[in-house]
Amino acid sequence: MDALPLLTLLILIPPLGAALMALLARHETARLVALLTVAADLVLSLWLVAGFDPASGRFQWVEQRPWIPTLHITYMVGVDGISLLFLPLTALLFAGIIIASWNSVRVMPRLYYALLLLQLAATLGIFIAIDTILFFLFWEVSLIPLFFLVSLWGVGPERRHAANKYTLIMLSGGVPLLFGFLLLAFNHASGASLAIPQGLSFDLPTLLATPLAPELELAVFALLFLGFAVKTPLFPLHSWLPVMAMEGPVAIVATLTGLKLGAYGLLRFAIPLAPHAAHDLRWLLIGLAVIGILYGAVAALAQTNLRRMLAYSSMSHVGLVVLGLASFSLQGVQGAVLQLLNFTIVAGGSFLLLAMLRHRTGSTDTADLGGVVHSMPLLAMLFLLLGLAGMGVPGTSGFPAELLLLLSILKTHTGAGMAALFGMVIGAGYFLSLYRRAFLGPAHNPAVIHGADLLPRERWLMALVAVLVLLAGFAPSWVIDLIAPAAQGWAARLG
Amino acid sequence: MNTIYWFQQTAYPVLAVLQLLPLAGALLTGYLRTRPFAPMIGRAVALLVLLVAIDLYRMLDKTHAALQMTEYQPLIGPFVYHAAADGVTVLFVLLAALLTFLLTLYTAARRLDAPGQLVAVILLLEAVLMSLLVTADLLWFVIVSALELGLAGYLSWRWATTPERGLALLRFYQFQGTGLLLLFAGTLMLGWHFADSAGYWSFDLADLTKVSYQGPLATVIFYLLFYGLAVRTPLFPFHGWLPLVAHRGNVAIAPAFLLGVKVGLYGLVRFVFPILPQAVEKWHAYAVAFAVAGVFYAAFLAFQQQNLRRLMAFAVVSHTSLVVIGLFSLERTALQGALLLAVNFGLAATAMLFMIGFVYNRTNTTELSRLGGLFDRIPYISIAFLASGLAIIGMPGTPGFDAAHMVLEASIERFGALLTVAAAVGNVAAAGFLLYAFQRAFLSPAPAGVDLDTIDRSKPMELLVAVLVLAVLLGTGFYSEPWMVLTDAPMQALGTHFEHTGIVSH
Repeated sequence: MDALPLLTLLILIPPLGAALMALLARHETARLVALLTVAADLVLSLWLVAGFDPASGRFQWVEQRPWIPTLHITYMVGVDGISLLFLPLTALLFAGIIIASWNSVRVMPRLYYALLLLQLAATLGIFIAIDTILFFLFWEVSLIPLFFLVSLWGVGPERRHAANKYTLIMLSGGVPLLFGFLLLAFNHASGASLAIPQGLSFDLPTLLATPLAPELELAVFALLFLGFAVKTPLFPLHSWLPVMAMEGPVAIVATLTGLKLGAYGLLRFAIPLAPHAAHDLRWLLIGLAVIGILYGAVAALAQTNLRRMLAYSSMSHVGLVVLGLASFSLQGVQGAVLQLLNFTIVAGGSFLLLAMLRHRTGSTDTADLGGVVHSMPLLAMLFLLLGLAGMGVPGTSGFPAELLLLLSILKTHTGAGMAALFGMVIGAGYFLSLYRRAFLGPAHNPAVIHGADLLPRERWLMALVAVLVLLAGFAPSWVIDLIAPAAQGWAARLG
Repeated sequence: MNTIYWFQQTAYPVLAVLQLLPLAGALLTGYLRTRPFAPMIGRAVALLVLLVAIDLYRMLDKTHAALQMTEYQPLIGPFVYHAAADGVTVLFVLLAALLTFLLTLYTAARRLDAPGQLVAVILLLEAVLMSLLVTADLLWFVIVSALELGLAGYLSWRWATTPERGLALLRFYQFQGTGLLLLFAGTLMLGWHFADSAGYWSFDLADLTKVSYQGPLATVIFYLLFYGLAVRTPLFPFHGWLPLVAHRGNVAIAPAFLLGVKVGLYGLVRFVFPILPQAVEKWHAYAVAFAVAGVFYAAFLAFQQQNLRRLMAFAVVSHTSLVVIGLFSLERTALQGALLLAVNFGLAATAMLFMIGFVYNRTNTTELSRLGGLFDRIPYISIAFLASGLAIIGMPGTPGFDAAHMVLEASIERFGALLTVAAAVGNVAAAGFLLYAFQRAFLSPAPAGVDLDTIDRSKPMELLVAVLVLAVLLGTGFYSEPWMVLTDAPMQALGTHFEHTGIVSH
């Protein structure tokens, strides 16, 4: 272990950059400082990856300090193979957001970048927190920057309503989550026959080692599942996603479709903390996942706007992840992590491309598009590549993930696996048909005809994304090996 | 119980200084009220009081549960001067001193008329409030309460923003007069009962806790005191005066005193709980039932409001109810959490009132339909408004979170998950109306006929208030340990009164 608190540094750098914004006068410098801050975080997270011991399934780089000693709440952070790779990808996604919205932030740019950096810190915090209350802190705090970003820089006329709706839905989702964590802490106190608050415990490794009575476990799982399902989103709690996709600033929505924090919560907290209950309730997980896959796919089929289509398609894809988790097998969880990582690149990258497209043409609706490929061939090609990776075409990053997921599901729940396959076929249908209408054919909109292709900075960013997609597609074993020890530990809890 | 006198701990009678210093400041500022530098003197005195309060915090023995730094002087018969402090006192004293100091800054930023006189009244109110907080004598508490309410009413009426200020004052005095009468009756009954058994009259906390009160007598006294304090807290259904005062009085000054420092709740913890533990235990479910009704009733009404000041009033009723649920969970963690929650709500509500005041300065209205688009012009004030709103709903990272957390924990144990979840959902409803108000006033486009360019940018004094408020909210939010330590020992002692019914054994 290093003497430097690297993980703490990782979440401290962005707020420092945000504070710096107050001192900068010019828009251009603010933008550059924001990008450099994110780049510093990216480098730091890559350093973490390089120093990570891939043979161990335990939490590494762990830091633990007292935070609220009276309640035994600690500041505890650490990463394992499941969470590690989210850190560089999250930083990359935020760098992409800054580049994709390079010239589209017209009002209060310094505030925009400051909020974006705070959002980055909160998101990274979600991935590294292994104290449940610290996790909850980051979970809720991440709502605030997003509330402002959507309210103030959203592109739709209903953006303020969308921001309110999203924040309130997420706050409501936070209630069961907090109660679930409290129940776990109470259980620890009564298990150790200690008084409250002396016996409370909130740190994940301790809670994982604490036995839980069956009926309590059921309650814990139900509460956590409800809390995370809202964010995932699982049918029928998804109504905020299409609204946000249409009303929010396009680049910012990439964080919502790209980072599936709800599924990560299920993976990290809900299922491992209440494994037997999760096992008993797998019909619920599988049912909602299958409904999500099919509903999302059919809804995506009916869209004319690329952003709404991507929102529904991300709902369909995340259903597959939940299905993989519900197989409770090693391949299932490996596939799930791989697929979540894949989303960060693919769904995040697609939205960034749409942000660039919208900045040029003013729309992402197929009615206003058509023939984009003539004027912006690079953009069109990359969108196709990411779309194919979303479908899981061999050679792209989506393939190993979906293969692992489907294998595990078909083995344990054949019916659900068939439904998922069917959903993927529809997925190919809606993507290709919308792609044809938006990108191919003759161009009629002057904004499309005169639109400029990707600029050098955008080209570099998207080239990196494309390389990652292909690299993970052709050589996935490195990633799978990195995940394996932690995933084995995860699957063993459910065995 | 052996008394710890002030001279055993400190070089000067710090509690007396806390009361006399603002009094002297008030007299001086009042005397010089027409001079331009008078408010400046007032601000300096307020700052000095804050420093003394911090010194008190420093000198207090935090491991000791008992009242300390005692000052005792018999006056006439049973009427004595008895001041003492424990962790809870210090917590509220710090809050009161901080709020007063911020208020003096706020008045400078608002540029109200007769500033010298205003600061003098504020300091006078601070002196009375300090006296209220440090006294260990129930009769003294009641008499000083009357003084405080009289002054607060005058403050609200003299610097009111609307012509209906007379009606607001009348309602305020009617409600508070009734509350005081109930409180006074309960106090007299306690004294009488004590005189019956001991042979002499006393209203001293140490004396009153020696006797036990049983049966209907205890019930009657409990309800007299509880309702008396509930009027000023304010607890549903005794909150009728608040919307009027908040809407028709002045924007922030009187409400900051009435809502910022929750004397009603402090009175419950200081006097009612230790003196009447059996009655409190017997009737706690009723108090909680009122409070739960209050959470929802007030949240529901808050949604109907079209005026920011009235909305704020109902938000206060709603969140105060959560504190009452915590107090009447009668368990150490919950008591501690409820006190921290009371202080946090006080701070956050005051911060919000200040920001509403700054908005009013520019727009001359707080009707939501006449507001909009202010974020572009006054971003810092807007952010401070939202931050205080988030503190009110107990967002993680604000002091409300740890406190609400403690209350919820104990409340699950005592009343079951259903009621607790209901209270938490009520809190999310509060989040709903605060977000709605924030969107309307700050983010949505300006209404027709309002020219945003005429809205002044933030002034340095306003920025100072906003930044100070933000710093205190976030600072105590992320680092709440000192405040926990402060209330730990006294609440542990108080919790032992109710221990045998609690689930927790120490």
